[in-house]
Amino acid sequence: MTQPSQSNSSDYFDDHDSQFLEALQTIVLPGDLPNSNEGERIEVDEETVEPPPCAQPSLKRRLLDEDKDENNGPSEKRMKLSTQESNGTSDRKSTTPEPPPCTQAFIKRHRHIDGEEAFRERNLSLSQQIPNEDDTYAPTRFGEFGDYMRKKRAKLQIQNAQLAVLGGDDEGSQIFRGIAIYINGHTKPSVQDLRQLIVQHGGIFQPYLVKKALVTHIVTCSLTPAKVREFRYMKVVRPEWLVDSVAARELLPWRDYIFIHNERPEASQGVKTGQRTLFNAQTGPPRAHTASQSVRPMKTPSMLATHPPQTPIKSRANLVSTSTAGPSNIDRGNGKVDSNTPEPSSVPAAHPQIPAEPRSKSRSTSAVPPDPLYTTDPDSLEDASRVPAYAAYTSNPLAERVMANPGWRKAHTSIAPGYVEGFYKHSRLHHLSTWKSELRNLVQEAQEKAESGLGLQVGLDGNGGSLGKVRSEANATDADADVSMRRAELVVRSPSSRWKGKQKALDNQERVIMHCDFDCFFVSAGLVSRPHLKGKPVVVCHSQGRQGGGSSTSEIASASYEARSFGVRNGMSLHQARKLCPNIITIPYEFESYKQFSLQFYTVLMSHADDLQAVSVDEALIDVTSTVTQLRGRAFSGGSPVDPAKDFAESIRAQIRKATNCEVSIGIAHNIMLARLATRQAKPAGSFHLKPELVAEFMADLDIADLHGFGSSTKQKAQEKLGVTKLGELVKKSKDTLCEALGKGVGETLYNALRGVDNRKLESDKPRKSVSCDINYGIRFEKNEQVEAFVYQMASEIKKRLESIDMLGRSLTLKIMKRDPTAPVEAPKFMGHGACDLFNKQMPLLASGGRATRDDQIIGDHAWRLLKSFNFDPKELRGIGIQVTKLESTSEATNIPVGQKTLSFKKTNPSTSGPFFPESHVQVPNEKHILLETLEKQERHAEPSKASNMLELPPLSQVDKSVFEALPRDLREELEQAYKRRSASPFPVAVPLAVPAPMLTYKRPGPSTIFPQRFSSKETNVKRIARQLAPRKNHSRISTLKSLLSPKAKRKKPSVKISEAKLQEFGMDSEVFFMLPMKIQYEQLAMARIIKEKGFIPEVPSERRVLKPRKPAPVPEHLRWVAPAPKARYPEPPFLRRQGKKKTEKLYFTETDDIQSMLEKWMHAYHRWAPREKDVELLTTYLLKCVDNSIGGDSGVERAIAVMKWWLVLLRRYFPGSELEEEGEPDGIWTDRVGNAWWDSFRGTKKQMDIMARQRYGGKLSYK
Amino acid sequence: MSDQILSFNQAIQGIAEFIEVAIHTILYVRQIYPADLFVRRKKYETPVFQSRHPALNEYISGAVKAIAEEMAHGNVDKVVVIIKDKQQIALERFIFSVQNLIPAESFNKDTSVEGAMTAASLAQYFRSFLIKLNMIEASLGQMELDDDASFAIVLELKDDAAPSVTDPRIPPPWIPADTQHTTPGTSEEAELHMIRSVNTGIVDLSLAVQESGEKIEREREKEKAAKLQRKEVAEGKKKD
Repeated sequence: MTQPSQSNSSDYFDDHDSQFLEALQTIVLPGDLPNSNEGERIEVDEETVEPPPCAQPSLKRRLLDEDKDENNGPSEKRMKLSTQESNGTSDRKSTTPEPPPCTQAFIKRHRHIDGEEAFRERNLSLSQQIPNEDDTYAPTRFGEFGDYMRKKRAKLQIQNAQLAVLGGDDEGSQIFRGIAIYINGHTKPSVQDLRQLIVQHGGIFQPYLVKKALVTHIVTCSLTPAKVREFRYMKVVRPEWLVDSVAARELLPWRDYIFIHNERPEASQGVKTGQRTLFNAQTGPPRAHTASQSVRPMKTPSMLATHPPQTPIKSRANLVSTSTAGPSNIDRGNGKVDSNTPEPSSVPAAHPQIPAEPRSKSRSTSAVPPDPLYTTDPDSLEDASRVPAYAAYTSNPLAERVMANPGWRKAHTSIAPGYVEGFYKHSRLHHLSTWKSELRNLVQEAQEKAESGLGLQVGLDGNGGSLGKVRSEANATDADADVSMRRAELVVRSPSSRWKGKQKALDNQERVIMHCDFDCFFVSAGLVSRPHLKGKPVVVCHSQGRQGGGSSTSEIASASYEARSFGVRNGMSLHQARKLCPNIITIPYEFESYKQFSLQFYTVLMSHADDLQAVSVDEALIDVTSTVTQLRGRAFSGGSPVDPAKDFAESIRAQIRKATNCEVSIGIAHNIMLARLATRQAKPAGSFHLKPELVAEFMADLDIADLHGFGSSTKQKAQEKLGVTKLGELVKKSKDTLCEALGKGVGETLYNALRGVDNRKLESDKPRKSVSCDINYGIRFEKNEQVEAFVYQMASEIKKRLESIDMLGRSLTLKIMKRDPTAPVEAPKFMGHGACDLFNKQMPLLASGGRATRDDQIIGDHAWRLLKSFNFDPKELRGIGIQVTKLESTSEATNIPVGQKTLSFKKTNPSTSGPFFPESHVQVPNEKHILLETLEKQERHAEPSKASNMLELPPLSQVDKSVFEALPRDLREELEQAYKRRSASPFPVAVPLAVPAPMLTYKRPGPSTIFPQRFSSKETNVKRIARQLAPRKNHSRISTLKSLLSPKAKRKKPSVKISEAKLQEFGMDSEVFFMLPMKIQYEQLAMARIIKEKGFIPEVPSERRVLKPRKPAPVPEHLRWVAPAPKARYPEPPFLRRQGKKKTEKLYFTETDDIQSMLEKWMHAYHRWAPREKDVELLTTYLLKCVDNSIGGDSGVERAIAVMKWWLVLLRRYFPGSELEEEGEPDGIWTDRVGNAWWDSFRGTKKQMDIMARQRYGGKLSYK
Repeated sequence: MSDQILSFNQAIQGIAEFIEVAIHTILYVRQIYPADLFVRRKKYETPVFQSRHPALNEYISGAVKAIAEEMAHGNVDKVVVIIKDKQQIALERFIFSVQNLIPAESFNKDTSVEGAMTAASLAQYFRSFLIKLNMIEASLGQMELDDDASFAIVLELKDDAAPSVTDPRIPPPWIPADTQHTTPGTSEEAELHMIRSVNTGIVDLSLAVQESGEKIEREREKEKAAKLQRKEVAEGKKKD
């Protein structure tokens, strides 16, 4: 047992450690026998094993001390300890009687070696992660301090490997293979447990996050904000991912377990917004009455006091009623205040709370107080602070009481079975929005009909009831009270091309847009049947009579003008309204009559309008340009001073009044925005024409928030950055200023709006963009199952809606409202959502084949998966919304090419043990046989042989999906590609390399649960996979195959007449060929012929292209003549011609070097004689040509100068004496005739060249 | 610079740019302005000297811009930088001789010219231009101008071509040159030193220095005077 380690261990240390070893031996360690026996000692010497890396004896000493009493040392040492312990167990099993080791050091060493051996034997797959252990356990030498951490990590990995060996090998589970996990902070289960889980299931546990690249996932229960930022781009998951994955025995998608920061798991960390509550209390709604001033200081402490007890409650539903009763009691104890507590007497009775008043008063303060917002259930604390008398932090006591009753809960909250349907039956907003879209559809349909010439029914003049028909009137009496407008039909006045008139370049001032709006629609509709209530303060809301008591949170949908004079506003709660006007009268919703009136309203408008945009059930924009122009013409000729537009509006009003008994107000202007403004002026029950010349004056007094499309946020921005919100002042600002303050888009729009410019067109045919279903009332769940059921209910609602508009969707967005941690469990509004945090998530909504869908099951699946991934406490949910976007009509959808088909096979249990597809083994010999044969033949004919593997791929539609998906990713992609190619060209032989090169290097075994050690070589890989992809009930196929193989079967089949020899020529197996159906035989033959001729298969275009004769495109006039591409031109270099060796041969020299060397040769040959005239002339001619600008160009000059310079050099070399002759220095210098002759010829040439050069440069050339 | 083949416009721009660089270099090399007026920079992978004086730079770049315009029209024959003394007598003429080889009309000037030089190799040529220009001092005679030197940029157009006028309201930047400064006005005694030339296939460019006859005359006189002096000294010695 010690033998192998002996040889190994000697490698561990360099000789310089011997001193240390000596020191170690001499040291008496605690627990050592003073005179340990010699034999043991020798063993120690021989082994020279010393695992711990510390180089200092003292350290070693300490380590051993700790070893003994197992106290907490530095972490590294502790790790070490645990290794030994874990080894120790296995050690003891394997070791046979050994004398009890007498020294601690010895034991330690021993165990360590064992561990190592075990480790080495395993030769774990992890080994690439684990560095050379020799190195790892070597002592850290001087100057290697930086290595410490690296080694430490490596050691921990070794330790992990051992851990895996100990616990995990019985199952061999490798679900975490390839995953490296870092655990951050305190987790539940503990780090140790998680580490064990990870390691035992094939994952890598990284104890340190040194390099982020090493880690694939981070597991955590809580993160500091800094770390949230740091890990922003990493996969941060909750520990449940690991636990659940192990439980499920497969790797679950980590996305479902994403760690979402923002929850504070520990109450000790405090409530999120302790500060904010204070702030909110102070910046609360400005109420400039003495009463409210006295209220505020009281409120603040009470609110602060109520907070702490709320936080611990949130997770315990059954405690809710009791413990949250506390805060409200406190409220009551404080006496006055809270507007929600049912003590109306404590609040001053009816004080005229007109919001405009305090607003203008408080304007003087630097901060802009937010505008009051009227809603009973604001969804953020910011909004809540704007709602007068809305106490965001108080719980609704009534709700708490009823919620405590499980029976009531079951019947009335979102747990209730038909909740979604019921909700929509009673939701006013739902009706309104549905009607709006329905009206739009009606308008659109009517227009389409008008255009196709069907709707011609009504006269132009249009006086009275015969204008159009509301066909739905009969339906309206239906007992089942279907309030849908779907069966109604609007009829358009005339099928004129005026629908297109809006495209005409009409002068903007000429357009006439009317904004028609019912005056307090719900109220006036209700009053039609209750004429006795006219002139009294009436509101429409759900709550009736006195039943809700003073604390009713029912929202007022509409208030009569009489009620409004008390300060009652739409959106207030009934309770608030009661305070303002105690004897207010409520009437219920009457959706039936609303619908009827609305349709009549639209019918009338439709009969007059050129174009109509349905804004809502009681509001519409119409373009009446043509009629008004006509009228104007008439009025003009009649000389009447009245405004024809206003007259026309009055007649429309009269008609509507006649049809509905309700008052409508109409604003008239030349664009949409101004028309809306005019309506404000027209109300109640009037009409107003805002003429272009009056616009500036009219708008000056308005506020920015009065403009349609600009809300309080814009107003606030304007106040902050520009200091003004009045339109009259804003109009003076430059466009740039506005854009800078409000953003480019808004700034520009506002700039235009201020000048009365609005280029929007009426949107009569805007297509529907999305279908959604949002429910945020009464959402109170207890369990995830309830949520799930509810989500599916919503999904079926969405399906209904999609069906009604005949659309399919491609994308799904889930909106979640989760209770703000600081908000009370029961919102102030009864069963409302209260202050919430909002979450959105989107995902593509795909049915099989990547198609758009409206299947409720699929929508539900998607939505539920998204919701699950948030991992919210069901009790905290306050609102759920599902929105389906990227709509396409069903007819459209069918035209879209189908993507990849979903493989629809029975799910197999991937964990079945034993041989996989027993049936498939049967066919092995057959198919292989065929395959090999074809392979051989094809290789003989030098065809791409690998392609034949494709023969084995079963048709895509028959592939078992579960197996397919379980394949390793790269393999799967290959197969997908192969299928794609195959579908592109039906001829398998032509498929280029069905098994690409990566297969060759493929070594990594797939997930062992699926394919336990099946892949032996690349060849079998593919075949096996292909087989497994094939349907399992393919006995029949095999049998036919068998029978076909027999010669008898071959004859029976009808086949193409072709000789076997011919087939051989094409590289086809005749046997296989004749087995194929006729059609494919033809195909194969055709392909083979093409291949033979061209050598390749022409690519099949991916899209089918319709061949059309190409029309000769007329060439536009200005493009007739196309200039040729410019071409470079180089001057032809002059050449020097010389006779070659043979007589006929001529040599041409152009390069400077050549000429120079020739010159040299020439001079060398002739230096004893004067140069021949002819030669000189030749050279001169050449040089002159060079210098001549028209021939040689400037580079020629350069070349000539170079040649001349060289000549000069040569002359000076051969005849130095003759140079100065010209200078007239006769004294004493010997001159010779040859030299003179040479110099003369040089000078002659030079002179000629100078003359030539003078043309271009003037002067002469210098050869200096 | 890439190894993209030059287009007509690129060639013109490249040459104009080079002329600008070269003018700065000439002013430095010929010591027209004090050396500390210049900063050393890198251009065409070689050190060059650029004037730091904004007015001078403006003048040069303005002139080069005008030159580039004329070159684009294919009118330019030579661009001459004249070094002159106080009496406006040209002593040296640095001649950038330009030759358009392809007609300036009738094609898209931004397409690469088939078979032309690449931008990268043109830059290499310019580098060799500049290196030789820096060394030219050795083969030129001393001017001994001290502070009197100045320079001028003369544009010589092809025969019968006139400076094009882009905007009739703005007077053309050019004025008629002094005859002595022009090529036809050069005396026969002037000596031309070829520095470098390049054929781009689009526009050929060469740079040469011409020492004017006046300068050579002066040098000779100076030499004679020196000789006389030497003779006198020698004679004086003999007498002694």
